[in-house]
Amino acid sequence: MTGMKEVREMSIEVPVEPPAEYESLFIPVPKEFVEDAYRKDDFIVFIGPQHPGSGHMRIIVRLKGDFIVEAIPDPGYVHRSMEKLAENRLYVQNIPLLERPAIMDFGNYNLGYVRVIEEALDIEVPERAQYLRVLLAELGRIGTHLYDAGILAVFMGHTTGFMWPFAVREFIVEALTHITGARITGSFIIPGGVRRDVDEKVLRMIGRIIFTIENRLEKFERVFIRNPTVVARLKDVGVLTREEAIKYGVVGPFLRASGVEYDVRRVESYEVYDDLDFEIPVGDDGDGYTRFLVRVEEIAQSMSIIRQVIDRIPEGDVISSDIEAISRNDIRGSFYDALAKITLPAGEYTTLTEAARGTLLFSVLSDGASNVPYRLRFVTPGWMYLKGFMESLKGERLADLQAIYGSFGYFPPEADR
Amino acid sequence: MSEMVRFLHSGPLAPIKRWGTKWSLWPVHLVTACCGVELAHAYASGYDGERLGSLNYGISRQTNLIIVEGAITRKMARILKMTYEQMPDPKFVMVMGACGLKGGLFWNGYHMVKPSDVVPVDFFIPGCPPTPEAMLRGIRELQEKIWSGEPRNSISFNKIDMLRIGSPRLAPPSPKKIAKTPLVKVNVDRSEKWKEGGIIVKEVSDLLGELASSVTITGRNRICVFVESENAVEVAKRLSRLFDHVKSVNVIDVPHESSFIIEYVFSSYSNKKYMPILLTMASRIDREEAKFPSLAEIFPSADYLEREMHDLFGVWFEGNPGMGVRFLIAPDTPENPLRKDFRLEEEVYTGGDGR
Repeated sequence: MTGMKEVREMSIEVPVEPPAEYESLFIPVPKEFVEDAYRKDDFIVFIGPQHPGSGHMRIIVRLKGDFIVEAIPDPGYVHRSMEKLAENRLYVQNIPLLERPAIMDFGNYNLGYVRVIEEALDIEVPERAQYLRVLLAELGRIGTHLYDAGILAVFMGHTTGFMWPFAVREFIVEALTHITGARITGSFIIPGGVRRDVDEKVLRMIGRIIFTIENRLEKFERVFIRNPTVVARLKDVGVLTREEAIKYGVVGPFLRASGVEYDVRRVESYEVYDDLDFEIPVGDDGDGYTRFLVRVEEIAQSMSIIRQVIDRIPEGDVISSDIEAISRNDIRGSFYDALAKITLPAGEYTTLTEAARGTLLFSVLSDGASNVPYRLRFVTPGWMYLKGFMESLKGERLADLQAIYGSFGYFPPEADR
Repeated sequence: MSEMVRFLHSGPLAPIKRWGTKWSLWPVHLVTACCGVELAHAYASGYDGERLGSLNYGISRQTNLIIVEGAITRKMARILKMTYEQMPDPKFVMVMGACGLKGGLFWNGYHMVKPSDVVPVDFFIPGCPPTPEAMLRGIRELQEKIWSGEPRNSISFNKIDMLRIGSPRLAPPSPKKIAKTPLVKVNVDRSEKWKEGGIIVKEVSDLLGELASSVTITGRNRICVFVESENAVEVAKRLSRLFDHVKSVNVIDVPHESSFIIEYVFSSYSNKKYMPILLTMASRIDREEAKFPSLAEIFPSADYLEREMHDLFGVWFEGNPGMGVRFLIAPDTPENPLRKDFRLEEEVYTGGDGR
């Protein structure tokens, strides 16, 4: 074209020494990376660990203009050394320890760990206990998805969107209190069953709670889910295609939002999920909004599961007869005597569980003689989808980072363990 | 300047300033751990912490209160200190939860720090996690302290004289039983659990041929393949025809056999038949010279898992760009904390007489 000035390559000698804080703050990127960015006139921006959203981790993003070209995670701010601690505690003592990564989802975490023990010792769980476990797991799933919706709203500066799901969460917490006695740290599932029975009155109350939640969520849909601002912030940002999601090993609702139909509850069914009717919501777009909508739909499915559980739950024992020392009348009193001596036969046992945010893997290696695990490995959903989360940031604008962060529901205590 | 400060603190307008501080406690967003769940409830519509003049705010330079929510790790301790120093005076610190008090469930973890060692703490709110009511009572106590200048304990404990209850007892022995030379075997044969697994095992062994030393069924839908570490890349390449992602990377330290066992757990999202199957590729390497070829090129999902294992065990995954850098744990954490020769502090069981 004529008349247009030719663009000249300019090179200005500017000092490219990284700032003095580079050494003192333990920046986890190599010095060459910083120098290279300086030369190429890119910016390196540190997001977090103390940031206006919730949960802290640091993301180091390299920007060209305001487009993210590279995102480097710096996790571990909530790394509480659980794998090492688990090697130093009895098998039963690990139940409360291993639910701490995501306490609002304790049912699934208990379930994953306890199933390892049951698989190793071939313990048959009574049907009523299985239904109660499913009930806890699904209540936790609804609670976690609502929690994440609230945090997503915080990330986008939508205070009303934070208040609504947390008000609904109060109902879930109330139900959990009636079942387990604790608001959010139940430790209710034990090898062989659950800690105690739940009476008819509580089940009916949970039925009513589900009815209320359903009504509230309809209003929440108007306030937040279909809100044009929310749609505008989340639509078409942080897209993960089906191939990328598979390649980076994304899990749970975030994988399903990219079009992969994978749910451990169906793929490798556990407890009574085989007998229950529910659908697996799958999205196509793989963007932030789809990731959110898939979870909204999962709340509806979980509510339907809870209704079925309340209708179908059979009468019977809640603790397996395989565990003999436990006294039926005083489960809590005889709990320690019966279960402290648990020793698993030698070998490695792995279970998969569909926790609210995705696949949860527990793997226990026992040496056959000790009553503590020789090695306990557990990979939480947050840790599995961190790679996909980082990849989805590339090519987006810096202002969308918060929305993508929220759309993944990334919860650092869960990811770091 | 100091005269001005003195005037503010003790002059005729001091009560107005104290009143203003009392009703504008702004906690900074510093959600350190799981207690954040209950903090969020305390400020949401159920409990409405805002009616006490307290509301979470994002930026540390415009806030005057830190609520430490539970566990503080070594990595976070530095950030806690920095955030505290960024805040303008007067500033206050409250600590939620048992972990912040004495370590709680994680008291002997290698990555834990007590918040009271890092910043001056005004109030502790015990619980695991504390309820929102307790949390708001903590805010009330802090307001009382600002108003009256005197910290007050809202809980009074009954003092029990242990010696008068019963006769002194000896401390009970630890219930833990730990084998001296444990049997560490990841591929224990349990083919009776998965009768129909023979077809898949045959497919896998045909695919790998000579490369696999053994192919074992270790449970329902679980297969363990043992390979030599030099063949690992080739095996992974072949397995990538059946499996498309890595679910877990695991290292097992076996000091009495002077070796590490490296495990990769493969699974599939795209191949329906292989969806429920977890294939563990295990390999034994020397403990002194712990090196293993990285599979992050073939399976990008293994990248961060390998870095984590490098942090915790010191195994060098050749080819992974994150080697030699701390990823998950803080720079001042002891080296290789998950190796068996790194020991945590043991529990002490005390009897009636404190022995």
